Amino acid sequence: MNENYVTFTDVVREYRTGSVPVRAANGITFNLQKGKLNIIVGPSGAGKTTVLNILGGMDSATSGKVTVDGRDISRLSKREICTYRRDDVGFVFQFYNLIPNLTALENVELASQIRKDAFDPRTVLEDVGLGHRLGNFPAQLSGGEQQRVAIARAIAKNPKLLLCDEPTGALDYETGKSILQLLQDVCRIKGVTVVVITHNSAVMPIADRVIKIKSGKVKAILHNDNPTPVSDIEW
Amino acid sequence: MLVIINAFKSISRSKGRNILIGIIVLAIAASSCIALAIRNAADDAEAVGLESVSITGTISVDRQKLIEENGGGGRGDMSQMRELMERYKDLELDELLIYSDSAYVKDFNYSSSTALNATGELKAYGSEDNADNDSDNVFVSPEGGMVARGGGPGGGGGGMRGGRAIMVGRALTIGDFTVTGYSSEEAMTKFMNSTASIKEGEMFDIASDDMTCLISDVLAYTNGLSVGDSIVLANPNYDSDDEDIDENGDDEDIANEDNAEDNAYGENAGEYTFTIVGIYTDTSSGEVNDMPMFSTAQDPANLICVSYPSLSAVIENSIENEITGTDDWGTETTTALTDTLSSSFIFADKGDYDSFTEELTAKGLSEYYVLTSSNLNNYESSVIPLRNLSAFATTMLFIILAIGAVILVVINVFNIRERKYEVGVLTAIGIKKGKVAMQFVTELLCVTLSAIIIGTVVGAVISVPVSNNLLATQIERAEDEALNQAQSFGRPGGGPISFDGGGGGGRVMSFSSFGGGENERISYLETVNASVNLMILAQLILIGIGLTLVSSLAAVIFVMRYEPLKILANRA
Repeated sequence: MNENYVTFTDVVREYRTGSVPVRAANGITFNLQKGKLNIIVGPSGAGKTTVLNILGGMDSATSGKVTVDGRDISRLSKREICTYRRDDVGFVFQFYNLIPNLTALENVELASQIRKDAFDPRTVLEDVGLGHRLGNFPAQLSGGEQQRVAIARAIAKNPKLLLCDEPTGALDYETGKSILQLLQDVCRIKGVTVVVITHNSAVMPIADRVIKIKSGKVKAILHNDNPTPVSDIEW
Repeated sequence: MLVIINAFKSISRSKGRNILIGIIVLAIAASSCIALAIRNAADDAEAVGLESVSITGTISVDRQKLIEENGGGGRGDMSQMRELMERYKDLELDELLIYSDSAYVKDFNYSSSTALNATGELKAYGSEDNADNDSDNVFVSPEGGMVARGGGPGGGGGGMRGGRAIMVGRALTIGDFTVTGYSSEEAMTKFMNSTASIKEGEMFDIASDDMTCLISDVLAYTNGLSVGDSIVLANPNYDSDDEDIDENGDDEDIANEDNAEDNAYGENAGEYTFTIVGIYTDTSSGEVNDMPMFSTAQDPANLICVSYPSLSAVIENSIENEITGTDDWGTETTTALTDTLSSSFIFADKGDYDSFTEELTAKGLSEYYVLTSSNLNNYESSVIPLRNLSAFATTMLFIILAIGAVILVVINVFNIRERKYEVGVLTAIGIKKGKVAMQFVTELLCVTLSAIIIGTVVGAVISVPVSNNLLATQIERAEDEALNQAQSFGRPGGGPISFDGGGGGGRVMSFSSFGGGENERISYLETVNASVNLMILAQLILIGIGLTLVSSLAAVIFVMRYEPLKILANRA
């Protein structure tokens, strides 16, 4: 069960733009372990984000099967997919996507309000190291701090999956590293299954499992029994 | 709960945008409020006008109908026509009194006119020859009938008795003076509409036959008469061919000698003495002389006003002392005075007028008679400005609402587009679209409702003086009229209070719409204000809910259209 916590079986996603259909995902198959840090890596346009969106319930597969914790999410109705998004998934975006006219705390509260067994927003913010910036608006926070708020918002819901789409893409080296450290800590301490998308193959050693994607297909799946601490890697 | 909390947060965080929406809604609410208030004020004023205006009507022969009955507009049988006209004469007073006994008739009044000649020194104003001879000015009227022009004193009938032959029974225009008897003050239209007013002396007793009269100031001046003087008037039907001018006014009447002692109203038969109790000014007297006059009696200056009982006493006397004969042409003559009756029914409103028309038919009035009203049309045209005002205000209201709704929808569409990203994030987190739409609608509802409340207050503050002003103008006009009427009868016009005691029975109805006096009038205005505001409040709430629904519909549609992935993907 733990081994097949998340499974992708021959997932195809076809976009119809114009006359030529484009296959962003062309028969992707992999599985993820529960409570591990997983990294999906690949060049731009390989189909990483498509995979993440399907996993996060933001997009649906054209064909193929996706299961999360034994539940087939590729056949859910719109309503069920919304509930799945609310209860099981925490999303962290490259550009944070915080509500600008709500404070850091209110942004996190937004997520915890809609979930019954959510974590206390204050505690979560303290956990990500922002206990002193609760009342600040996103515009008053640095990029790294905003991404921490976004992560806090995602994990406050106590989700099964924490999905991060290029979380360090808009951040500098040091800040990026501290965000990765945070994600690794969340994974270790809270036992959340974390999926991180990146085009930076230098961060691969920190993950328990790496899925290499190229041109809509899985090129390789690497298992790493001894992940490197974030502080030890450089790029 | 979550939706409401988030909505309030959102409102407090984006003040600028909400203030903008608020200002627009406030402007719409305030102007709608004023438009509604004007409309209500106009309707109220119309109702006030309806109460104070009374409709008068007269029953007359429907000549049109007679002509139609006689073969349409073509050359019908003239003798048959005459026969019909002979049969359907104007109704007699006693018949009219029977008809007037109706629940629909508020009041019935009448006046009767006859022509009397001057005697002695007394001269009618406008007599061509004021010298003391009987030069009769005779001319042939276009129809070929002989018409006697009122000549010198005592020569009213002139040498031409044929004057009366113009139309038998229509002796009105022959003679020096028109003497009109009124049944009530309401019948004295000139005084009621303030074209005439008493300058000196007082009003005669309308109910008594004490032979008192009002004369015009022109007549008083021409003859050097003043209040308290007496004038002697003569029956113009007495054969005056042999009559000479007698300087002392005691001309003997050859034909009526044996009846002279029976005549209580004059020293000789056919002479009647009236005591002047008042002198009035008639502002219209100068305007009406365009038509050729057959007699000085037609000059308004020669109108002598008496009470109806006085006049009927004169006429009865003339009938008692009647002498019949045959004149040179073989026509039967009589010395009895004939009078022309003019009557009017007064109705509280148009509904009563219409009901009375039906009732007349039911009571058996011939189809050749018709109830007509000259002031009904006037009344209907007088409310046209008010109706126009009301219609204008309604049109304005709809324009304001239409423009306002469009502006609100546009602002909301922009608003939602601007917040598209927020919708994307919220739905990506897992909040249902319905809840997001609810939050937006709640935000809008709070902003619009509070703006409507403020707008209503602003609008009410502005519209109360506006609508009161409109109302006050109406009431003032009606009051002025009432005041003028009172002054026309030479009574002190100190305001509505003075009428209740001073006025006769007939007065009360004219002022019924103003209540008992000053105090009641004020409370009346206040109730108008209150009702206006209540009405407006209810209507504005409906408008507000309508506007909010329309504009939130736009918001909901937009929220529902968005897919979170697309919004977030576009942003990235």
